[in-house]
Amino acid sequence: MFCLETYLRMSEDYQIHMTRSGFKDCARFIEENAVEVVHVKPGEKIVGARIIGIPPVPIGINDEKGTIMLPYTKPCYGTATVEIPVPSEEIEKIRAVSID
Amino acid sequence: MKKAIILLGCPESPSQTPLAIYATNKLTQMGYEVTLASTPSAKKLLEVSDPEEHYLKNKVDIETCLDELEEGDYDFLLGFVPKDAAVSYFVTFYHILNTKSLALIFARDEEKVEYFENTVRENTEAEIASARAYHNPTPLRVRLDRALKKLDKKTLAEDDDDKVEDS
Repeated sequence: MFCLETYLRMSEDYQIHMTRSGFKDCARFIEENAVEVVHVKPGEKIVGARIIGIPPVPIGINDEKGTIMLPYTKPCYGTATVEIPVPSEEIEKIRAVSID
Repeated sequence: MKKAIILLGCPESPSQTPLAIYATNKLTQMGYEVTLASTPSAKKLLEVSDPEEHYLKNKVDIETCLDELEEGDYDFLLGFVPKDAAVSYFVTFYHILNTKSLALIFARDEEKVEYFENTVRENTEAEIASARAYHNPTPLRVRLDRALKKLDKKTLAEDDDDKVEDS
């Protein structure tokens, strides 16, 4: 199963758009820059990790690039916006738990 | 036995560790089995502060805890909210647990306290205890005492209602 934590540790194939930010700014970045945006409940498991944030949490989807953009929060470092390549079945799983 | 979880934030503020021990003691006296979920650095501060575990019996890693968390695991959530990230964590724990909750909001700046309060209020139905606090834990301790007293009264009233329904 795809695991976000392991992916970010083991791979360099991801893009950090914002770092050490507030959740609101990261959410706004996704809303304004993602090709497609779906919203999920906080606590939903997305690519193997529970999504942390203020509802509704935006997840950006780019089918063409095969990437998703999501807020990633750590207690001491605030929230980052990361874009990672994921298998197409993971994108379908995200659409399936969307609250839109 | 009722179960409570205390969610700790980044341990940057000196008020957090003493208040975590204080709150654990209070909740234990109120009949809760208390678990503290924290980052490894916050956990180290707790371990040094209570080496023989007189107060803090159960400590878990915040990430592992969140990963395994399910509705019904705890009866009460107390979240320390000193930063923007802690607001996100608290709101997330709140929505998973869907239980009685209290956000203990504190920061050096009045503006931040107000912003955290508004975000918690707009996204949860949790009780809020807040104060400007950094080095001095007293203003926050007083508000925590008040909030827990209110919670205790409510819990006792609910227990009485249950007894009436049972009889």
